[in-house]
Amino acid sequence: MATTGVVTGAAPGWRPDAVTLVRAAIIAAVLILWQLLAISGLLYQDVVPPLQAIAVALIRLLGSGDFYANLWASLYETAVALVVGGGAALFVGIVLGGSRFLGRAFEPYLYYLGPTPKIIFFPIMIMWFGVGPGSKMAMGALSCFFPVALSVAVGMRAIPPILIRVGQSFRASQAQMVTKVYLPAMREPVVNGFRLGFGIALIGVLLAETKLSNQGLGFLVIQNYQRFDMPAMYALIIVIFALSMLANAGISRLTAPRSRRGGAH
Amino acid sequence: MSGNQANLKLQPEPAAGTAPAILSVDDVVKRFETPDGPVVAVDHMSLDVRQGEFVSVIGPSGCGKSTLFNLIGGLLSPTEGRISIAGEEVRGPHPSIGMVFQEESTFPWRSVEENVAFSLEVQGVGKAERLERARHFIAMVGLRGFERRYPTELSGGMRQRVAMARTLAFEPKLLLMDEPFAALDEQTRLLLGDKVLQIQQELNQTVVLITHNITEAVQLSDRILIMTYRPGRTKRFVEIKLPRPRTSEIVGSDAFGHYVAEIWNDLREEASKGMHDQETMAERRRR
Repeated sequence: MATTGVVTGAAPGWRPDAVTLVRAAIIAAVLILWQLLAISGLLYQDVVPPLQAIAVALIRLLGSGDFYANLWASLYETAVALVVGGGAALFVGIVLGGSRFLGRAFEPYLYYLGPTPKIIFFPIMIMWFGVGPGSKMAMGALSCFFPVALSVAVGMRAIPPILIRVGQSFRASQAQMVTKVYLPAMREPVVNGFRLGFGIALIGVLLAETKLSNQGLGFLVIQNYQRFDMPAMYALIIVIFALSMLANAGISRLTAPRSRRGGAH
Repeated sequence: MSGNQANLKLQPEPAAGTAPAILSVDDVVKRFETPDGPVVAVDHMSLDVRQGEFVSVIGPSGCGKSTLFNLIGGLLSPTEGRISIAGEEVRGPHPSIGMVFQEESTFPWRSVEENVAFSLEVQGVGKAERLERARHFIAMVGLRGFERRYPTELSGGMRQRVAMARTLAFEPKLLLMDEPFAALDEQTRLLLGDKVLQIQQELNQTVVLITHNITEAVQLSDRILIMTYRPGRTKRFVEIKLPRPRTSEIVGSDAFGHYVAEIWNDLREEASKGMHDQETMAERRRR
């Protein structure tokens, strides 16, 4: 594979640079502080359990079938939310970004509603979509709609007008303009929008699960909290954190433009 | 002043050859509404171009050349008058007209061959066939060997040739170009002019070239339309009776110099009006 683009690290004889060392040091410092705090007993050990207790809980968690069932429930809800909310946002973003008039008429509402905490709509979602996964998906879809739509609208406006004129001069249909000009031209803002959207959909889904549900990671967190099983709760939080990082990294891989991904086709 | 202009407009076009007009611009007016009132960019212009003819439209900056380009290409519609290609009225981008733009217009996410195949892809031509046809036109513009490269890996002149190949692959009856070499240096421009002459000969391609470069216009054209500065009107047609086939070597000939001088004589007055206008506007903005 040709390496015209991004440095991917881990070359033979690779040595960690200063940034990597500092990052590792931060993690180590947090763990040490945590452990000291736990051992000192300044806070109750039940509230701040020692690392070994969390490690045991983590192993037990990852070994239980119950965890995986809940994990899949949350991931499934988030995926549906992202497809529905992100799909609608893609459409709305292209329409608003493509028309100066519609953009000016509607976009202010997106900006107002964007930062509004979507959890206030949860009771409505329960009434519309029931107490099951439907209302969680709706919460996730609603949450991720706004950042994706705004990001796509901004991306549409950043497309060089000349490329649009070229497409028109070759008599591309509206659908062809979308698939062959708009989307490839704004690949980066769209992927970034979806990356942001994924995180926010996940927040929407888990938050809804903590409120009213009988499955999902958010439900597990609250269940452990109610049982006052702090090590298990922290283990869950670590797992959710790791999942978010993994998903984020996966989506970023898509942002590398095709011409720079290297290798012949 | 208006009487004089009308007179110029009524001058008969030189009629060389008997082929029927393939492009016909008939008494076209384009007015734009602006906050400062209506602006007439193109004022009662007419132009007939015959099959296989190379016509350049030359004029000072701001004379409405680009508006005329967009009108013929169907990206703008005329306020008055009519434009037709091969007998059909132009009401939007037309399959018989291929446009090459002044700006950088290649798709950066597509390789050279995918760029050139774009118009065929839009028409629904299958992948194998469209890539094969694209390669033919890539070879024609002299870019064989660069099929799999991406625009960022090419020079400006090469990218403009990709844009030209992409339009040629559309197989238009009329090749309509808006200062395609404006961003290139003089030497590259002369050499690409040779390429254009060669391709035009090979395909018996009808071409309308919008330009502000006198050398380029004389080097390439059978006929040159000189536009006035604001509102854009036809000042005069000049027929270029230089022998064909031509190459850029003709640039040194006496006849060539004579044509350049003749056209500059006409353009000078218009260009000074334009320059004066722009200085006044800049002055006004400064206050």
